[in-house]
Amino acid sequence: MAKIVILGAGISGHVAATHLRRKLSKKHEVVVVSPNSNYQWVPSNIWVGIGRMKSEKIYFPLAPLYKKKGIGYKQAKAISFHPEGDSTEAKPYVLSEYVVGDEKGKQEKITYDYLINSTGPKLNFEATEGLIPGKNKAYSVCTYTHADHAWEGLKAVIEQMKAGKKAKILIGTGHAKSTCQGAAFEYILNVEQELRKHNVRDMAEVTWISNEYQLGDFGMDGMLMSYGSLTMKSHEMIEMIFEDRDIKWILGAGVNKIEDGVAHYENLEGEHKSESYDFAMLIPSFSGHGFKAYDKNDNDITEKLFKGFMLVDADYTSKPYEEWSVRDWPETYQNPSYKNIFAPGIAFAPPHAISKPRKSKNGTDISPAPPRTGMPSGITAKLVADNIIDTIKNGKESSHHKGSLGNMGAACIASAGFGFWKGSGVSITTFPIVPDFKKYPDSHGRHLGKTFGAIGLAGHWLKLMLHYAFIYKAKMRPFWWLIPE
Amino acid sequence: MKRISPRMRFRMMNPVLQFFKFIILSIKIMVIVAGGHGGTRKVN
Ligand SMILES: Cc1cc2nc3c(=O)[nH]c(=O)nc-3n(C[C@H](O)[C@H](O)[C@H](O)COP(=O)(O)OP(=O)(O)OC[C@H]3O[C@@H](n4cnc5c(N)ncnc54)[C@H](O)[C@@H]3O)c2cc1C
Repeated sequence: MAKIVILGAGISGHVAATHLRRKLSKKHEVVVVSPNSNYQWVPSNIWVGIGRMKSEKIYFPLAPLYKKKGIGYKQAKAISFHPEGDSTEAKPYVLSEYVVGDEKGKQEKITYDYLINSTGPKLNFEATEGLIPGKNKAYSVCTYTHADHAWEGLKAVIEQMKAGKKAKILIGTGHAKSTCQGAAFEYILNVEQELRKHNVRDMAEVTWISNEYQLGDFGMDGMLMSYGSLTMKSHEMIEMIFEDRDIKWILGAGVNKIEDGVAHYENLEGEHKSESYDFAMLIPSFSGHGFKAYDKNDNDITEKLFKGFMLVDADYTSKPYEEWSVRDWPETYQNPSYKNIFAPGIAFAPPHAISKPRKSKNGTDISPAPPRTGMPSGITAKLVADNIIDTIKNGKESSHHKGSLGNMGAACIASAGFGFWKGSGVSITTFPIVPDFKKYPDSHGRHLGKTFGAIGLAGHWLKLMLHYAFIYKAKMRPFWWLIPE
Repeated sequence: MKRISPRMRFRMMNPVLQFFKFIILSIKIMVIVAGGHGGTRKVN
């Protein structure tokens, strides 16, 4: 009998837990440890942030589902990792602290045979002075509570515009090393469409601010893609959309300080500038959670497990952009020092960025960190679960299931405006996610047939369908496993 | 600046045309997602 502990119940943690439970007999224990009592379908936060979807539609409580399906659940947060146990506990464990109820503040050593760390990112607002969701007129849509808050802020500004006051709206990245440009991109297009719906578009100046060198970089070094019968660069496509919608842009901007209605930033030229606004939504930088790890003698072994995020089977040798290779990227998400620990989704430490790193003339790093979107988060979680299942069933270590971001496709269906008949979406697929310049030397490292873009109403329908399909799947309704990650 | 022509916009927003686009996109995405994934280090 084996005990598998999963830290986090986001996209990757929940996918791992549900697959393990489905495929392993009940004599094996599957336990989820997560501080948030709800599962949330993060991509739909965009619609919560424009008031088009109630936050209750994107989350549901985990405890009843886990109880029904035989998955153990502890509403707690992991604090430290003890992969060899300690002087009083022979088994490896994670020290966790309960966050609610009578047990709040109580710590427990949660032992495991296999550990899946799927704690995602820490939303590192502190890295940008003054960037606090809901303060200084700056908001976030990274969680459903943030998105609810953002909609309140936006609604107030729309009311002011209706009363005749002009407004400046600033959306993008809130740190020189932020990632998740795709989410900000969706939000700016949705906000722009809402302004038109409310007949206040002419009262607003809408500006995109980002650490990208070019529009459409998305932390993926841009894309060369098929667009209808054309082959287009992603920056040309995004420029077309922004110009058509009268959205201005500021690129190569490392936002470093937020004051009430003012964003200060440094650009690649090394200039220090500022941009005023009445409403801003800025994605913070993501970091690891700052977990510590100890061996059985209580010595600090954090560097064996973490480099910010968790160390896995990647090649972390430092090398220049020109020498980066798809082979640097992990395949099994297994920690090299402790083979029973895994980190799928955003929790693993990437070997390096995907976009070309750039510095300002003052030496400040200003370029996107690598994104890890929902689809790869789900796929990597499932393959980790499958390797654990095979290992348990075969009685010997199996790492047969592999999925490098350099040999995996992803679809990003970016909402460009809500509405069943008036909505729109920018559908972009890439294969592979990390460009493989050796395999596809003439198409910027990607397969052109599988890397394409499309704009239109169908994109909105697709995004809406994915919303319902993935919530259905997450609720483990009949035949949920037939829906791919 | 109008970068999307009225004809292109019509095609992007016409529900009938977009219904077919929806089917095609769904299939294309399924092919990419279900098309599998793997490692990069093993030399065949
Ligand atoms: C606004 C927005 C829109 C997005 N839109 C899209 C999209 O359209 N398509 C797409 O593919 N991707 C999208 N993404 C990205 C996608 O949401 C992420 O890739 C995905 O959520 C990552 O999943 P994860 O499980 O690794 O991390 P998370 O979803 O962040 O989950 C982390 C989990 O760990 C838990 N946790 C945190 N700390 C601890 C601790 N100490 N102990 C235990 N548990 C802990 C958290 O409570 C949470 O349950 C979007 C992201 C954002 C922010």
